[in-house]
Amino acid sequence: MAGFDDELVGLLPRLRRFARALARDAADADDLCQAAVEKALGARDQWQPGTRMDSWMYRIMRNTWIDRTRARSRAAQTFVHEDAGLAIGDAGDRAIEARVELGRVERAMAQLPDEQREAVALVLVEGMAYKEAAELLDLPMGTLTSRLVRGRQALLAVLGEAA
Amino acid sequence: MTPDDEMLMAFADGELDALTAKRVERAIAENPELAARVEAHRRLRSELAAAFPLVAGPDPLEAVIRSAPAPLVRRRPPIWRQPWLQAAAMAACLAIGVMVGTGWQSGPIATDRSGALVASGTLARALDNQLASEAGETRIVVSFRNSQGSYCRVFAGTATDGIACRADGQWRLVRTGAGSAATRSDYRQAGSADMAMLEAAQGMMAGDRLDAAQEASARRDGWEPERR
Repeated sequence: MAGFDDELVGLLPRLRRFARALARDAADADDLCQAAVEKALGARDQWQPGTRMDSWMYRIMRNTWIDRTRARSRAAQTFVHEDAGLAIGDAGDRAIEARVELGRVERAMAQLPDEQREAVALVLVEGMAYKEAAELLDLPMGTLTSRLVRGRQALLAVLGEAA
Repeated sequence: MTPDDEMLMAFADGELDALTAKRVERAIAENPELAARVEAHRRLRSELAAAFPLVAGPDPLEAVIRSAPAPLVRRRPPIWRQPWLQAAAMAACLAIGVMVGTGWQSGPIATDRSGALVASGTLARALDNQLASEAGETRIVVSFRNSQGSYCRVFAGTATDGIACRADGQWRLVRTGAGSAATRSDYRQAGSADMAMLEAAQGMMAGDRLDAAQEASARRDGWEPERR
Protein backbone atom coordinates (compact mmCIF):
# COMPACT_ATOMS: atom_id res chain seq x y z
CA MET A 1 0.00 0.00 0.00
CA ALA A 2 2.56 2.54 -1.14
CA GLY A 3 -0.22 5.08 -1.80
CA PHE A 4 -1.14 5.24 1.86
CA ASP A 5 2.48 5.80 2.91
CA ASP A 6 3.09 8.47 0.29
CA GLU A 7 -0.05 10.34 1.11
CA LEU A 8 0.63 10.23 4.84
CA VAL A 9 4.23 11.39 4.33
CA GLY A 10 2.90 14.20 2.15
CA LEU A 11 0.63 15.31 4.99
CA LEU A 12 3.44 15.49 7.55
CA PRO A 13 4.18 19.22 7.18
CA ARG A 14 0.52 20.06 7.76
CA LEU A 15 0.28 17.63 10.67
CA ARG A 16 3.37 19.19 12.22
CA ARG A 17 1.80 22.61 11.91
CA PHE A 18 -1.52 21.49 13.39
CA ALA A 19 0.31 19.82 16.28
CA ARG A 20 2.28 23.03 16.93
CA ALA A 21 -0.96 24.98 17.09
CA LEU A 22 -2.58 22.52 19.50
CA ALA A 23 0.27 21.57 21.79
CA ARG A 24 1.74 23.86 24.39
CA ASP A 25 5.36 23.60 23.33
CA ALA A 26 7.57 22.13 20.63
CA ALA A 27 8.44 18.91 22.47
CA ASP A 28 4.79 18.26 23.20
CA ALA A 29 3.96 18.87 19.53
CA ASP A 30 6.58 16.32 18.42
CA ASP A 31 5.20 13.72 20.81
CA LEU A 32 1.65 14.42 19.68
CA CYS A 33 2.58 14.09 16.02
CA GLN A 34 4.38 10.82 16.58
CA ALA A 35 1.49 9.39 18.62
CA ALA A 36 -1.05 10.39 15.96
CA VAL A 37 1.00 8.89 13.12
CA GLU A 38 1.44 5.64 15.05
CA LYS A 39 -2.28 5.49 15.67
CA ALA A 40 -2.97 6.08 11.99
CA LEU A 41 -0.55 3.32 10.98
CA GLY A 42 -2.29 0.95 13.37
CA ALA A 43 -5.68 1.89 11.93
CA ARG A 44 -4.68 2.12 8.26
CA ASP A 45 -7.16 -0.55 7.18
CA GLN A 46 -9.95 1.70 8.51
CA TRP A 47 -9.07 4.43 6.07
CA GLN A 48 -11.25 4.37 2.96
CA PRO A 49 -9.12 4.83 -0.15
CA GLY A 50 -10.46 7.66 -2.28
CA THR A 51 -11.66 9.66 0.73
CA ARG A 52 -9.77 12.59 2.14
CA MET A 53 -6.88 11.47 4.22
CA ASP A 54 -6.30 14.94 5.61
CA SER A 55 -9.68 15.05 7.38
CA TRP A 56 -9.14 11.52 8.66
CA MET A 57 -5.69 12.39 9.95
CA TYR A 58 -6.75 15.69 11.54
CA ARG A 59 -9.45 13.82 13.39
CA ILE A 60 -6.99 11.23 14.66
CA MET A 61 -4.60 13.91 15.81
CA ARG A 62 -7.30 15.91 17.53
CA ASN A 63 -8.58 12.81 19.37
CA THR A 64 -5.04 11.88 20.37
CA TRP A 65 -4.54 15.37 21.69
CA ILE A 66 -7.77 15.23 23.73
CA ASP A 67 -6.82 11.83 25.18
CA ARG A 68 -3.41 13.12 26.18
CA THR A 69 -4.81 16.29 27.69
CA ARG A 70 -7.32 14.32 29.73
CA ALA A 71 -4.74 11.80 30.87
CA ARG A 72 -2.53 14.66 31.98
CA SER A 73 -5.23 16.38 33.99
CA ARG A 74 -6.14 13.04 35.64
CA ALA A 75 -2.50 12.59 36.56
CA ALA A 76 -2.46 16.10 37.94
CA GLN A 77 -5.41 15.34 40.18
CA THR A 78 -3.93 12.07 41.41
CA PHE A 79 -0.37 13.15 42.16
CA VAL A 80 -0.34 16.69 43.25
CA HIS A 81 3.23 16.82 44.33
CA GLU A 82 5.43 19.74 43.48
CA ASP A 83 7.13 18.56 40.29
CA ALA A 84 3.91 17.46 38.61
CA GLY A 85 2.24 20.69 39.62
CA LEU A 86 4.93 22.69 37.88
CA ALA A 87 4.48 20.99 34.57
CA ILE A 88 0.73 20.87 34.56
CA GLY A 89 -0.72 24.14 35.80
CA ASP A 90 -2.98 25.71 33.21
CA ALA A 91 -1.15 28.80 31.99
CA GLY A 92 0.29 29.42 35.44
CA ASP A 93 3.13 31.88 35.79
CA ARG A 94 5.78 29.19 35.75
CA ALA A 95 4.39 27.57 32.65
CA ILE A 96 4.42 30.93 30.92
CA GLU A 97 7.99 31.54 32.00
CA ALA A 98 9.00 28.21 30.51
CA ARG A 99 7.50 29.34 27.25
CA VAL A 100 9.30 32.66 26.86
CA GLU A 101 11.26 31.23 23.96
CA LEU A 102 8.05 30.79 22.00
CA GLY A 103 6.85 33.61 19.78
CA ARG A 104 4.20 35.93 21.17
CA VAL A 105 1.51 34.50 18.92
CA GLU A 106 2.30 30.97 20.01
CA ARG A 107 2.26 32.05 23.63
CA ALA A 108 -1.12 33.69 23.17
CA MET A 109 -2.46 30.52 21.53
CA ALA A 110 -1.18 28.39 24.41
CA GLN A 111 -3.24 30.44 26.84
CA LEU A 112 -6.54 29.72 25.09
CA PRO A 113 -8.89 27.11 26.54
CA ASP A 114 -8.59 23.84 24.60
CA GLU A 115 -11.99 24.10 22.92
CA GLN A 116 -11.20 27.56 21.57
CA ARG A 117 -7.67 26.61 20.60
CA GLU A 118 -8.76 23.71 18.40
CA ALA A 119 -11.32 25.89 16.63
CA VAL A 120 -8.73 28.62 15.99
CA ALA A 121 -6.13 26.05 14.90
CA LEU A 122 -8.43 24.45 12.33
CA VAL A 123 -9.85 27.65 10.86
CA LEU A 124 -7.07 30.22 11.16
CA VAL A 125 -3.96 28.06 11.04
CA GLU A 126 -5.13 25.19 8.84
CA GLY A 127 -7.44 27.35 6.74
CA MET A 128 -10.56 25.22 6.98
CA ALA A 129 -14.04 26.52 6.24
CA TYR A 130 -16.33 26.79 9.26
CA LYS A 131 -18.49 23.94 8.03
CA GLU A 132 -15.52 21.66 7.56
CA ALA A 133 -14.13 22.46 11.02
CA ALA A 134 -17.55 21.96 12.64
CA GLU A 135 -17.88 18.54 11.01
CA LEU A 136 -14.41 17.52 12.08
CA LEU A 137 -15.11 18.52 15.68
CA ASP A 138 -18.65 17.07 15.60
CA LEU A 139 -20.09 20.44 16.61
CA PRO A 140 -23.10 22.41 15.40
CA MET A 141 -22.05 25.45 13.34
CA GLY A 142 -23.27 27.86 16.01
CA THR A 143 -21.06 26.29 18.67
CA LEU A 144 -18.04 26.32 16.38
CA THR A 145 -18.47 29.99 15.48
CA SER A 146 -19.02 31.07 19.09
CA ARG A 147 -15.85 29.23 20.19
CA LEU A 148 -13.99 30.71 17.28
CA VAL A 149 -15.05 34.27 18.00
CA ARG A 150 -14.23 33.95 21.70
CA GLY A 151 -10.82 32.53 20.87
CA ARG A 152 -10.13 35.34 18.44
CA GLN A 153 -11.28 38.02 20.86
CA ALA A 154 -8.91 36.61 23.46
CA LEU A 155 -6.02 36.52 20.97
CA LEU A 156 -6.70 40.06 19.78
CA ALA A 157 -6.83 41.25 23.36
CA VAL A 158 -3.50 39.61 24.22
CA LEU A 159 -1.72 40.56 21.01
CA GLY A 160 -3.08 44.09 20.84
CA GLU A 161 -5.10 44.98 17.79
CA ALA A 162 -2.44 47.22 16.31
CA ALA A 163 0.26 44.55 16.32
CA MET B 1 -28.23 46.83 11.39
CA THR B 2 -25.22 46.74 13.71
CA PRO B 3 -23.45 43.45 13.12
CA ASP B 4 -21.97 41.76 16.21
CA ASP B 5 -18.39 40.59 16.41
CA GLU B 6 -19.27 37.06 15.35
CA MET B 7 -20.80 38.41 12.16
CA LEU B 8 -17.84 40.69 11.50
CA MET B 9 -15.51 37.74 11.94
CA ALA B 10 -17.55 35.62 9.53
CA PHE B 11 -17.52 38.55 7.10
CA ALA B 12 -13.74 38.86 7.36
CA ASP B 13 -13.48 35.13 6.66
CA GLY B 14 -15.83 35.29 3.67
CA GLU B 15 -18.23 32.91 5.40
CA LEU B 16 -21.43 34.97 5.10
CA ASP B 17 -24.05 34.43 2.43
CA ALA B 18 -24.14 37.13 -0.24
CA LEU B 19 -27.16 38.95 1.17
CA THR B 20 -25.86 39.17 4.75
CA ALA B 21 -22.41 40.11 3.47
CA LYS B 22 -23.94 43.04 1.58
CA ARG B 23 -25.69 44.25 4.72
CA VAL B 24 -22.51 44.00 6.75
CA GLU B 25 -20.63 45.84 4.00
CA ARG B 26 -23.10 48.71 4.22
CA ALA B 27 -22.83 48.83 8.01
CA ILE B 28 -19.04 48.89 7.74
CA ALA B 29 -19.08 51.71 5.22
CA GLU B 30 -20.94 53.87 7.72
CA ASN B 31 -18.95 52.93 10.78
CA PRO B 32 -15.13 53.04 10.78
CA GLU B 33 -15.02 51.18 14.10
CA LEU B 34 -16.63 48.15 12.46
CA ALA B 35 -14.23 48.39 9.55
CA ALA B 36 -11.30 48.42 11.96
CA ARG B 37 -12.67 45.36 13.67
CA VAL B 38 -12.92 43.45 10.38
CA GLU B 39 -9.37 44.51 9.59
CA ALA B 40 -8.23 43.24 13.01
CA HIS B 41 -9.80 39.85 12.30
CA ARG B 42 -8.04 39.68 8.94
CA ARG B 43 -4.73 40.70 10.42
CA LEU B 44 -5.00 38.08 13.12
CA ARG B 45 -5.39 35.46 10.43
CA SER B 46 -2.17 36.49 8.68
CA GLU B 47 -0.35 36.73 11.99
CA LEU B 48 -1.33 33.18 12.86
CA ALA B 49 -0.36 31.95 9.42
CA ALA B 50 3.04 33.56 9.85
CA ALA B 51 3.50 32.20 13.38
CA PHE B 52 2.67 28.63 12.36
CA PRO B 53 4.36 28.21 8.99
CA LEU B 54 4.45 24.98 7.03
CA VAL B 55 7.96 23.65 7.25
CA ALA B 56 8.88 21.36 4.40
CA GLY B 57 11.91 19.12 4.41
CA PRO B 58 12.87 15.66 5.63
CA ASP B 59 10.82 14.48 8.58
CA PRO B 60 11.98 11.76 10.99
CA LEU B 61 8.46 10.33 10.99
CA GLU B 62 8.80 9.46 7.31
CA ALA B 63 10.99 6.50 8.25
CA VAL B 64 8.43 5.39 10.84
CA ILE B 65 5.70 5.46 8.21
CA ARG B 66 7.67 3.70 5.50
CA SER B 67 8.93 0.94 7.76
CA ALA B 68 5.48 0.13 9.18
CA PRO B 69 4.18 -3.28 8.06
CA ALA B 70 1.42 -3.03 5.46
CA PRO B 71 -1.42 -5.25 6.66
CA LEU B 72 -3.68 -5.15 3.63
CA VAL B 73 -3.28 -4.58 -0.06
CA ARG B 74 -6.05 -2.58 -1.63
CA ARG B 75 -6.42 -0.99 -5.02
CA ARG B 76 -6.83 2.74 -5.12
CA PRO B 77 -7.64 4.95 -8.08
CA PRO B 78 -4.49 6.64 -9.43
CA ILE B 79 -3.61 9.88 -7.74
CA TRP B 80 -4.81 12.15 -10.55
CA ARG B 81 -8.28 10.65 -10.17
CA GLN B 82 -8.47 11.72 -6.55
CA PRO B 83 -11.28 14.25 -6.12
CA TRP B 84 -9.16 16.67 -4.05
CA LEU B 85 -6.49 16.86 -6.73
CA GLN B 86 -9.06 17.61 -9.40
CA ALA B 87 -10.45 20.38 -7.20
CA ALA B 88 -6.96 21.77 -6.70
CA ALA B 89 -6.29 21.73 -10.43
CA MET B 90 -9.53 23.56 -11.05
CA ALA B 91 -8.65 26.17 -8.43
CA ALA B 92 -5.26 26.66 -10.09
CA CYS B 93 -6.93 27.27 -13.46
CA LEU B 94 -9.24 29.84 -11.87
CA ALA B 95 -6.27 31.65 -10.35
CA ILE B 96 -4.54 31.87 -13.73
CA GLY B 97 -7.73 33.15 -15.31
CA VAL B 98 -7.96 35.97 -12.79
CA MET B 99 -4.35 37.01 -13.38
CA VAL B 100 -4.62 37.10 -17.13
CA GLY B 101 -7.93 38.89 -16.86
CA THR B 102 -6.48 41.77 -14.87
CA GLY B 103 -3.87 42.49 -17.52
CA TRP B 104 -0.18 42.76 -16.78
CA GLN B 105 0.66 46.15 -18.18
CA SER B 106 -2.08 48.22 -16.63
CA GLY B 107 -2.31 48.81 -12.89
CA PRO B 108 -0.05 47.36 -10.27
CA ILE B 109 2.30 45.31 -12.45
CA ALA B 110 4.66 46.36 -15.23
CA THR B 111 7.68 44.90 -16.93
CA ASP B 112 11.17 46.37 -16.77
CA ARG B 113 13.69 46.57 -19.63
CA SER B 114 14.80 42.99 -19.15
CA GLY B 115 11.19 41.81 -19.30
CA ALA B 116 11.00 40.93 -15.60
CA LEU B 117 7.75 41.71 -13.78
CA VAL B 118 8.02 44.63 -11.39
CA ALA B 119 5.56 46.44 -9.14
CA SER B 120 4.24 49.80 -10.29
CA GLY B 121 1.61 52.33 -9.27
CA THR B 122 -0.27 51.71 -6.05
CA LEU B 123 1.42 48.37 -5.48
CA ALA B 124 4.90 49.90 -5.72
CA ARG B 125 3.85 52.69 -3.37
CA ALA B 126 2.47 50.20 -0.85
CA LEU B 127 5.67 48.15 -1.02
CA ASP B 128 7.76 51.31 -0.59
CA ASN B 129 5.84 52.90 2.22
CA GLN B 130 3.53 50.55 4.04
CA LEU B 131 4.61 48.69 7.16
CA ALA B 132 3.25 45.22 7.82
CA SER B 133 1.12 46.51 10.66
CA GLU B 134 -0.61 49.18 8.58
CA ALA B 135 -3.92 48.82 6.83
CA GLY B 136 -4.32 49.65 3.16
CA GLU B 137 -5.81 48.46 -0.05
CA THR B 138 -2.82 46.18 -0.33
CA ARG B 139 -1.88 44.31 2.81
CA ILE B 140 1.77 43.64 3.60
CA VAL B 141 1.81 40.22 5.18
CA VAL B 142 5.45 39.89 6.15
CA SER B 143 8.88 41.34 5.28
CA PHE B 144 12.16 39.46 5.28
CA ARG B 145 15.61 39.25 3.68
CA ASN B 146 16.49 36.61 1.15
CA SER B 147 19.76 34.72 0.87
CA GLN B 148 21.26 37.53 -1.24
CA GLY B 149 20.49 39.99 1.54
CA SER B 150 17.83 41.83 -0.47
CA TYR B 151 14.62 42.89 1.20
CA CYS B 152 11.50 41.01 0.17
CA ARG B 153 7.86 41.52 1.11
CA VAL B 154 4.83 39.25 0.87
CA PHE B 155 1.76 41.25 -0.12
CA ALA B 156 -1.95 40.57 -0.58
CA GLY B 157 -3.99 42.84 -2.82
CA THR B 158 -7.32 42.83 -4.56
CA ALA B 159 -5.98 41.77 -7.94
CA THR B 160 -2.74 40.06 -7.05
CA ASP B 161 -0.99 38.39 -4.15
CA GLY B 162 2.71 37.85 -4.32
CA ILE B 163 6.26 38.18 -3.15
CA ALA B 164 8.34 41.16 -4.26
CA CYS B 165 12.10 41.47 -3.77
CA ARG B 166 14.16 44.62 -4.10
CA ALA B 167 16.44 44.61 -7.16
CA ASP B 168 17.97 47.57 -9.03
CA GLY B 169 15.82 50.09 -7.19
CA GLN B 170 12.57 48.33 -8.06
CA TRP B 171 10.33 45.70 -6.56
CA ARG B 172 10.74 42.62 -8.72
CA LEU B 173 7.85 40.19 -8.45
CA VAL B 174 9.31 36.78 -7.78
CA ARG B 175 5.96 35.14 -7.26
CA THR B 176 2.36 36.09 -7.92
CA GLY B 177 -1.07 34.60 -7.45
CA ALA B 178 -4.70 35.65 -7.63
CA GLY B 179 -5.60 38.43 -5.21
CA SER B 180 -7.08 37.49 -1.86
CA ALA B 181 -7.59 40.80 -0.07
CA ALA B 182 -10.81 42.81 0.09
CA THR B 183 -13.86 41.35 -1.60
CA ARG B 184 -13.56 37.63 -1.46
CA SER B 185 -16.44 35.26 -1.83
CA ASP B 186 -14.73 31.93 -1.37
CA TYR B 187 -12.65 32.09 1.74
CA ARG B 188 -10.95 28.73 1.46
CA GLN B 189 -9.25 29.43 -1.81
CA ALA B 190 -8.08 32.80 -0.63
CA GLY B 191 -6.72 31.36 2.60
CA SER B 192 -4.75 28.70 0.84
CA ALA B 193 -3.31 31.34 -1.51
CA ASP B 194 -2.00 33.25 1.52
CA MET B 195 -0.58 30.03 2.88
CA ALA B 196 1.11 29.17 -0.39
CA MET B 197 2.80 32.58 -0.46
CA LEU B 198 3.96 32.20 3.11
CA GLU B 199 5.33 28.77 2.40
CA ALA B 200 7.24 30.12 -0.57
CA ALA B 201 8.50 33.01 1.56
CA GLN B 202 9.61 30.58 4.24
CA GLY B 203 11.78 28.86 1.64
CA MET B 204 13.42 32.12 0.53
CA MET B 205 14.00 33.58 3.97
CA ALA B 206 17.50 33.98 5.37
CA GLY B 207 17.01 34.42 9.10
CA ASP B 208 13.79 35.55 10.71
CA ARG B 209 11.03 37.78 9.43
CA LEU B 210 11.71 41.47 10.09
CA ASP B 211 10.19 42.84 13.26
CA ALA B 212 8.49 46.22 13.27
CA ALA B 213 11.67 48.14 14.13
CA GLN B 214 13.77 46.41 11.46
CA GLU B 215 11.07 47.02 8.92
CA ALA B 216 10.85 50.71 9.76
CA SER B 217 14.61 51.07 9.51
CA ALA B 218 14.70 49.24 6.17
CA ARG B 219 12.06 51.64 4.87
CA ARG B 220 14.14 54.59 6.06
CA ASP B 221 17.10 53.25 4.09
CA GLY B 222 14.97 52.96 0.97
CA TRP B 223 15.04 49.16 1.15
CA GLU B 224 18.71 49.08 0.18
CA PRO B 225 20.76 46.63 2.22
CA GLU B 226 23.37 48.45 4.36
CA ARG B 227 26.84 48.60 2.85
CA ARG B 228 29.68 46.99 4.69
